[in-house]
Amino acid sequence: MTKKKDVLLKIRDLKIEGYSDETWVPIIKGVDLTLHRGEVMGLIGESGAGKSTIGAACMGYARDGTRIVDSTIEFDGMELTTASESDKRALRGSRIAYVAQSAAASFNPSHKLIDQHTEAPLQYRLKKRMEAQEDAMELYEKLRLPNPQEIGFRYPHQVSGGQLQRAMTAMAMSCRPDLIIFDEPTTALDVTTQIEVLSAIRDIVDEFNTAAIYITHDLAVVAQMADTIKVLLKGEEVEEAPTREMLENPQEDYTKSLWAVRGFKSPQRKRPTDGTPPLISVRNVDASYTGGEKVLDDVSFDIYPGMTVAVVGESGSGKSTTARVITGLLPPSKGEVLFKGEPFPPDYRNRTKDQLRQCQMIYQMADTALNPKVRISEIIGRPAAFYSGLKGAALKNRVDELLDLIELEPAQYYNRYPPELSGGQKQRIGIARALAAEPTFIVCDEVTSALDQLVAEGILRLLDRLQNELNLAYMFITHDLATVRSIADEVVVMQHGKVVEQGPKDEMFTPPHHPYTDLLLSSVPEMDPDWLTTLLEERGVDNVGDAASARIDPNDPKITGASA
Amino acid sequence: MGDILGLVAKRLGLGLIILLIISVIIFFMVELLPGDIATAVLGQGATPENLAALRKEMGLDQPAIVRYFQWLSGAVVFDFGNSIVTGASVTETIGERFANTLFLATYAAAIAVPVSIVLGVIVALLRNSIFDRVANVATLTSISSPEFFLGYILILYLAVKTGMFPAIASLREGMDFGDLLHRTFLPALTLVLVVTAHMMRMTRASIINLLSSPYIEMARLKGTPPWKVIVKHALPNAWAPIINVVALNLAYLITGVVLVEVVFVYPGIGQALVDAVSKRDFPVVQAACLIFAATFILLNLAADVGAILTNPRLRHPK
Amino acid sequence: MSVFVIIYYTLLLGGSCLAAYFNKRSAFLLLFSLTLVSFVLGIIGGVPALKFVAVSAGLLAMAAMVSYGFREFLVAITSVNMAKELRTAPLTAGFGMFVIFTYAVAGIFAPVIAPFGEAEVIASAFAPADETMLLGADQLGRDMFSRIVYGARNTVALALAGTLLAFFLGALAGLLAATTGGYFDQFLGRMSDVIMSIPSLIFALLMLSIFGGDLANNTTSFWLLAGFAAVVGVLMVAAVSESSIIGWLIGLAVMAGVATVFAGFMLTIFNPSEVILVLVVAVIYSPRVFRLTRAVAGNVVVMDYIEAAKLRGERKWYLIRREILPNSTAPLVAEFGLEFCFVFLLIAGLSFLGLGIQPPTADWGSMVRENATLISFGELTPLIPAAAIALLTVAVNFVVDWMLYRSSGLKV
Repeated sequence: MTKKKDVLLKIRDLKIEGYSDETWVPIIKGVDLTLHRGEVMGLIGESGAGKSTIGAACMGYARDGTRIVDSTIEFDGMELTTASESDKRALRGSRIAYVAQSAAASFNPSHKLIDQHTEAPLQYRLKKRMEAQEDAMELYEKLRLPNPQEIGFRYPHQVSGGQLQRAMTAMAMSCRPDLIIFDEPTTALDVTTQIEVLSAIRDIVDEFNTAAIYITHDLAVVAQMADTIKVLLKGEEVEEAPTREMLENPQEDYTKSLWAVRGFKSPQRKRPTDGTPPLISVRNVDASYTGGEKVLDDVSFDIYPGMTVAVVGESGSGKSTTARVITGLLPPSKGEVLFKGEPFPPDYRNRTKDQLRQCQMIYQMADTALNPKVRISEIIGRPAAFYSGLKGAALKNRVDELLDLIELEPAQYYNRYPPELSGGQKQRIGIARALAAEPTFIVCDEVTSALDQLVAEGILRLLDRLQNELNLAYMFITHDLATVRSIADEVVVMQHGKVVEQGPKDEMFTPPHHPYTDLLLSSVPEMDPDWLTTLLEERGVDNVGDAASARIDPNDPKITGASA
Repeated sequence: MGDILGLVAKRLGLGLIILLIISVIIFFMVELLPGDIATAVLGQGATPENLAALRKEMGLDQPAIVRYFQWLSGAVVFDFGNSIVTGASVTETIGERFANTLFLATYAAAIAVPVSIVLGVIVALLRNSIFDRVANVATLTSISSPEFFLGYILILYLAVKTGMFPAIASLREGMDFGDLLHRTFLPALTLVLVVTAHMMRMTRASIINLLSSPYIEMARLKGTPPWKVIVKHALPNAWAPIINVVALNLAYLITGVVLVEVVFVYPGIGQALVDAVSKRDFPVVQAACLIFAATFILLNLAADVGAILTNPRLRHPK
Repeated sequence: MSVFVIIYYTLLLGGSCLAAYFNKRSAFLLLFSLTLVSFVLGIIGGVPALKFVAVSAGLLAMAAMVSYGFREFLVAITSVNMAKELRTAPLTAGFGMFVIFTYAVAGIFAPVIAPFGEAEVIASAFAPADETMLLGADQLGRDMFSRIVYGARNTVALALAGTLLAFFLGALAGLLAATTGGYFDQFLGRMSDVIMSIPSLIFALLMLSIFGGDLANNTTSFWLLAGFAAVVGVLMVAAVSESSIIGWLIGLAVMAGVATVFAGFMLTIFNPSEVILVLVVAVIYSPRVFRLTRAVAGNVVVMDYIEAAKLRGERKWYLIRREILPNSTAPLVAEFGLEFCFVFLLIAGLSFLGLGIQPPTADWGSMVRENATLISFGELTPLIPAAAIALLTVAVNFVVDWMLYRSSGLKV
């Protein structure tokens, strides 16, 4: 692909302000962007970098409560900041299209997919209804949607998330635009579904030689999709370079730090050989929510003292339910949980104070895990006071000690409230609260998935250090295999409420795998820009995602071999 | 479709049960009186013979539960027994008045519903503009004013000072329809003022809520013209909230009507209820309360059923 | 064309032009649409209509200045955090706070402010206003102004008491239902559904028809009060004592004592018929409070920090007191204001119908009713107590509107 073709979109000194607390504050502080025809540019940055706002601005669109000031946005020779509303509207849908993050929320629930698809072509009188519908089916087929002839006649709630995201890409293509803005199109999807959507998007953008702006926070994803990458930080550009150059040779410190994230790896621990019983032992557990289907089906695994067991699986695989069974929030319908060889009362209300103390939990969303109206000193101090009966100066010393332990300056944080802290700091407070109970076992439920990568790495290092110092056992629930690689000692893979495979980490990451583990592992994007191409060549385009998991043969010899 | 019918049937069943419970409350509340209705009617000075005779006559010698079922089976066919003050049949006393009340409420609703929905949508589209703020202050003021305040202001300015409308909304036999509308204009306008304010605010809130959903932004980013965004993308999803707003406010009308009828001396069921309460005419009180409650429940029921029927997720099950 | 009309239009048009010149879009729109409206009004109503517009505009401007001044005054005398919040208050909220403050002063110092006693007959019936009687006399020859000042005390106190009781019962039940869940929650929810499906005014009339008359005596109202307090008390004991039998026994004993003291105390403030009125509105409005509290607390209960506290083994009372309440105060306070308006309007309506506060107690609703005949002579007098009611509800609503806006964090 020749790079220096006509310029399609030229943005100079983009400044966007948002209205908050009665004043206008800058969100985007002067970003330049040049996009050529047929070029795919990846916008990457952490949350709050302003990627999505820039994406909307490319269409001359400012969301409610934001405004574009003193900038030039030139699309194919037309200045969007001064253009009339109707001129801008005439571009949208026909020459610039948008693919939103949540397809489920962005399709109108009252209309069939195909009616929403054909709305723009009919609006611009590009096609007649029948032609537009046929074109839609063709696009559905190109995007490898099942039943392309029929799927468009369904309502959005009747179609799965990954399929909706592809239908939305098809809708964006309906007028064959010059530019498509993809706003985190795969962030809400599972890895195995993500790969289907990624390959479909890439192929169709290639086929029609459409220019695209691909917004994401995931470096590995952007490496597959983009020709050039622009890195953003807090509304400002850090650097821009062609994808390969950027991956091989990042210039700025910030970019380097982003690239270096996945470096951390904790040495793998082995199970004790002296016959110590497992700390937590889940035995043949079945569980279901009131009146619902079985969510867990015969789940068994052990967690030994001082070790980390990572429970991996996609959404709906039952990993969080397993945690609820262990903590006693959801008594199992069959089977039991043993603690140091003794049965644990199934309902947390029947557990003794000491049993409750032993087993603590750290949550995914630090925002909802900390009471916003309670001071840090009380959040951390309460478990210490509650379990150990500490009071006065002893309690304060203990809180200081805990704050030291999580690497926060006690004097500075003691009297503050959670909303004043950053995401990473909140997560550290969550850890301190768990530690305050002096537990032996901590459930970590997706503790890093809501955090930016650098911060997440800091949390992982902290957890690893604490584990060594305090001999803690972790059950680490995650869908992110990179996290598993860095911190786990043993891995349990779950699918549809069943354990499909389990074992020490090094074994789990070397073949032969259970086919599902294999699918899961191979679906995780890597930093290599050729990864998707190679993978699709190896597996075949029809052997990824849902199609592949449907194909897993229960009688595969690897299944019986590996899960023993 | 089976799902929908099931849900609707379930909702109707629930409404029926609630109505039944309310009839129990209304009936047995009167039983709380020390002594019984007979003592209440005849007062403390009544002789035991008189009391016994009256009890016999009213069937009070039977147990309460039996009388409840007698009362209920009567109520189902609109027979509420006789007034203990006038001795006349309750149905005859309040039947015509109920029709009058329904007329007044319909009159008010016919003006208020279209006006307030249109205004509510306009204010929602102009949100945060100066008009929105003025409308906010105006509707809040209207909501906060007691019905009799608005009613008397209207009487003072539109009836007493200018003489455009009669201050007292009395009805005569054989009035022609135009005259009827003219005579009842002020009470209807009072109701309209109160209900419109409520309805406008609720419509505004639900439209704004709707306009902030991602699919509306998506429609805008698809280049859909603003009117089409409203008509094609917002409106089909707005039915449920709008039906809800209308039904809730019609229900609100029922309560407002009592005070307005008293202010304008309008011969409706509300005034009959107030009279009966001060005269402690329990059969009339019970009948009027049951009628009001039933209408109220029916309207809420209609709102819920409407919401179920317009929900695309339920109309097109997986 | 009079000088007034010329000045009137000059000011409006000049103002519009200035606003347009300085790019004050909303001010321009407002002034110019007022000009256009004035054209129409001027043609229909002539000079008096324009004078009316001018006077209303003047009054609005006065109200705006008072509101601004009062808000700045509050900002100046309160703590830093409070002042920061107050600065976000729109003028309407400032106006509301000023009115509430005025009413509070009038209510508390009523005997000092009012020139005559509340039941003191000083003139002939419907005597016109003179220098001793600011607003003239009512149908029995009592001073209207004094009665309005006393009304601020009687009517508002009753409404406040009713709202407080409704809140004690409703909020406690709501918090308990949210933390307990299960059948208890379901049962209370259904029960409130049933009570709420009777329109409030109708239910009030039904209850008053029964508890009015002979039943409005000291003994009955004492027992009703004690009964109400007992229900609240049992809920309280259920929240605090967990499931220990000793806890229940001690709790119930304490509760019985408190209920008796409470009932006795209420009877020293209100007379029996007022007590019945307070209880009736409390019973009618507590389901509404329950439903809101349940919803607010329901949003908090699903938070992970509640789960963390439960897993720690914390008691229900700790959950309610330390975890849920601090996160529900803002919406609950706003709801208190809203409920107060409803209760206040209901009581005023009942009094207007002659079924609420009984004479000779000065009360705004009954004053409207007693003086209603004056309306047909084109007199404003009966509108004054009605306006007093409207003004207070408007004021509370203005403040609540601002608080709801703040607490929802809506930036639309």
